[in-house]
Amino acid sequence: MLRKCLVSVALALALCGPPAVAQEAYPVKVVKLLTHSSPGSGSDIFLRNLSNYLGPIMHVSFVVENITGGGGAKAVAALAKSPPDGSVFYATTPTYVFTSLLSHPEHTYKDVEPLVNVFTDQEVIFTRADSPFKTLADVMKTAKESRGKWGASTPGSLERQALERLKKAAGVNAAVVTHDGGGDLLIDVLNGTVDIGVGEYGELKPQLDGGKVRVLAVFSANRLDAAPDIPTVKESGYDVVVRKFRGLAGPKGLPDNVIKAWEDGIQKVLQDPGYKKEYTSDVLTPDYIGHDDYVAFVNQFGSDTEAFFKETGVIK
Amino acid sequence: MHTILQVLSFYGTTMMIPVVFAGVAWGIIGGALPGISPSITMALLIPFTYTMSPTLAIVLLASTYVGAEYGGSVPAILINTPGTNSAAATTLDGYQMKLQGRAAEAIGISLYSGVIGSFVGIAIVVLLTQPLARMALLFTPPAYFSLGILGLSVIASLSGGSVLKALIAGVLGLMIATIGTDPISGVSRFTFGMSDLLSGIKPILIMVGLFAVSELFLQSSGAAWVKAEEGASRVRFPNARMRRRLIRPQFIGSVIGAFEGIMPGAGGTIAAFLAYNEAHRWSRHKDEFGKGSPEGVAAPETANGTVACTTLIPMLSFGIPGSNSSAVLLGGMLIHGLIPGPQLLQESPRVILGLYSGMAIAPVVLVILGVVMLPLCIWMVNRPQHYLMAFIYALIVSGVYSVDQSLFDVGIVLAAGLVGFAMRLFAMPFLPMVLGLVLGYMVESSFRRSLVLSGDDYHIFLQDPISLAFLGLAAIFVGGALLAPLLKLLWPKTTQTRSVSDGAAKNGEL
Repeated sequence: MLRKCLVSVALALALCGPPAVAQEAYPVKVVKLLTHSSPGSGSDIFLRNLSNYLGPIMHVSFVVENITGGGGAKAVAALAKSPPDGSVFYATTPTYVFTSLLSHPEHTYKDVEPLVNVFTDQEVIFTRADSPFKTLADVMKTAKESRGKWGASTPGSLERQALERLKKAAGVNAAVVTHDGGGDLLIDVLNGTVDIGVGEYGELKPQLDGGKVRVLAVFSANRLDAAPDIPTVKESGYDVVVRKFRGLAGPKGLPDNVIKAWEDGIQKVLQDPGYKKEYTSDVLTPDYIGHDDYVAFVNQFGSDTEAFFKETGVIK
Repeated sequence: MHTILQVLSFYGTTMMIPVVFAGVAWGIIGGALPGISPSITMALLIPFTYTMSPTLAIVLLASTYVGAEYGGSVPAILINTPGTNSAAATTLDGYQMKLQGRAAEAIGISLYSGVIGSFVGIAIVVLLTQPLARMALLFTPPAYFSLGILGLSVIASLSGGSVLKALIAGVLGLMIATIGTDPISGVSRFTFGMSDLLSGIKPILIMVGLFAVSELFLQSSGAAWVKAEEGASRVRFPNARMRRRLIRPQFIGSVIGAFEGIMPGAGGTIAAFLAYNEAHRWSRHKDEFGKGSPEGVAAPETANGTVACTTLIPMLSFGIPGSNSSAVLLGGMLIHGLIPGPQLLQESPRVILGLYSGMAIAPVVLVILGVVMLPLCIWMVNRPQHYLMAFIYALIVSGVYSVDQSLFDVGIVLAAGLVGFAMRLFAMPFLPMVLGLVLGYMVESSFRRSLVLSGDDYHIFLQDPISLAFLGLAAIFVGGALLAPLLKLLWPKTTQTRSVSDGAAKNGEL
């Protein structure tokens, strides 16, 4: 209710007068941002924070709409059916690609157009604080000698993919145990049911601060600014890099001026000191990818994932 | 000290107190309407909790339950028709008191006893939930599997009715639980290409259909209930002498209520009848029972008040709903992303503290609203049934639609209503189906996760001590249910008192 009021106030303010800007104005005044996540979780927070800071920069009012259900399929369908005039976008995460591949909905990630990428979430390998594993090498040693137990979150998650790829790169036969979600996995890591788990650095922060878990390696290409002592998986000798992207997509056939406005807007907002402070505390790494590269990136990610699902027997 | 400050901050800074008032008021109304059980009353509220914070949402639902348990006694006393199933025991002496012109006194005793019961229940919840759930970290996948099996074994010990029918209902629930994405491999199952089914069917949709919609179907084919006479529109609380006399039945009621609430599958109806029986057994005024004994009203109503709280213990600490109402509460928590069970108390202690704070003031609010709303309850009970039904029907459909703006969900609720109607015709109990639905996913995913961990070695379920203990308990439950007919032959007297409660419980579950 409050949210609705705020939106209408913002709307009223936006309609009051044309913004005094020299550059070409954005074609629409109100932009709807869709997400498949429910209020208060991942992509929803991302969009709401982003629109707070991006609104003044792009001189538009943003309205976040949650279209939950169907693992993102509903939101993607709504996006695909929207006009490509810059008035509707959708928050992309690997989920929308996974759902497209797993359940063959009517509208897949191929029916919408990636716009730009904004952030990467950092995936890390962690273990409980009092576990015998001090390095990734210790984990691999156990996996080689007996049978390692590695925990991932949901079956279709990027985390599982990361572990399966690591398993292959290391040539070990560890059991990759999937869970119902990150919380579930955390319990199994803490009580020692599994040797290691994979999760987002930002989500593990409370446990790290509380001294409950230890991070062994990061899946990113470079070490994290927030934790420069932790080695990457790649420098530990296994050629696996995972990039959990967070960006936006629109309906197919977006006009060039809209794409340009977003490319400029996102680059500017990532420099905004207020926003910077906010996303740094959430341990999100800015990872701007322009439109052309982002289309190629998502398509590459899609075909890699499809190959992975076929290899692991999830889809035929 | 810190905790107390936190509790006070809930009262001061959040909508907690208004929410408790709203919940108790709605509960009293729903409870007072014959045919609208506490679970239906709560299910109707679920869609409205969607935009609330998780803490307020569950406080609203829990206080609705507290209100409904009292509301049910009003028509039980006034028109000899229990508004809720568990108020059935209250009709025995409550209606007799009304015939003697002591309706105001009976309602006063019911309210007073319900409040006492609620306070006792809340104290027990606060004392027991944390220690039980502190074992969270000890729970490994095999332990979760066995916990689920223990929950399902309750089906065998549900009193009354045919075990076969209960099993059929349970399997139906398990089947629905398999729809959606496979928990271990990620393959889509039984989705028939519909993206709406990918994340499975939300248990709450089935519950609303089963409990509420099927009830409407049934009510539309039945006769209207008797009118309550005007005149008893105020409450008279018991005086000091009466309060002393009521201590004994209230003690009996709260002990039985606490116990039955903690035991999954027992539920309020059985507790109320057991409390009535025991209060009778230990009373100094045995002859008054059945002829308008105040103790006969106090004992079951105290038990109801206690059960309304203690039924939360298995739900919060293990995620096993012990009654229809706590199953609805569980569904309400799920849509807020709160998964009841050992993890919940570790991950969301604030939500739990909020729940406790809300429940602590619910009985106080109950006293106020119980007095204020009595005339309204009498008015409601006397409205023509078809208007009420149409109103509730609109409430369900619009409520379900508003959660996700999904007509698909409305379709599921209506389909579940038809299934529920058929199940009522065949006298099949609902709770097994709900248990299957809620626990099926946990049982399956933990079973398969354990086997991935052990490399397909089934001994893992016996090697884990907690798992072994749960499996043993489940075996006792099932074995006990099989032995029960044998025991009945040995102690015919207990069977008689028991069968009264069994019969009522059987109807109660429906």
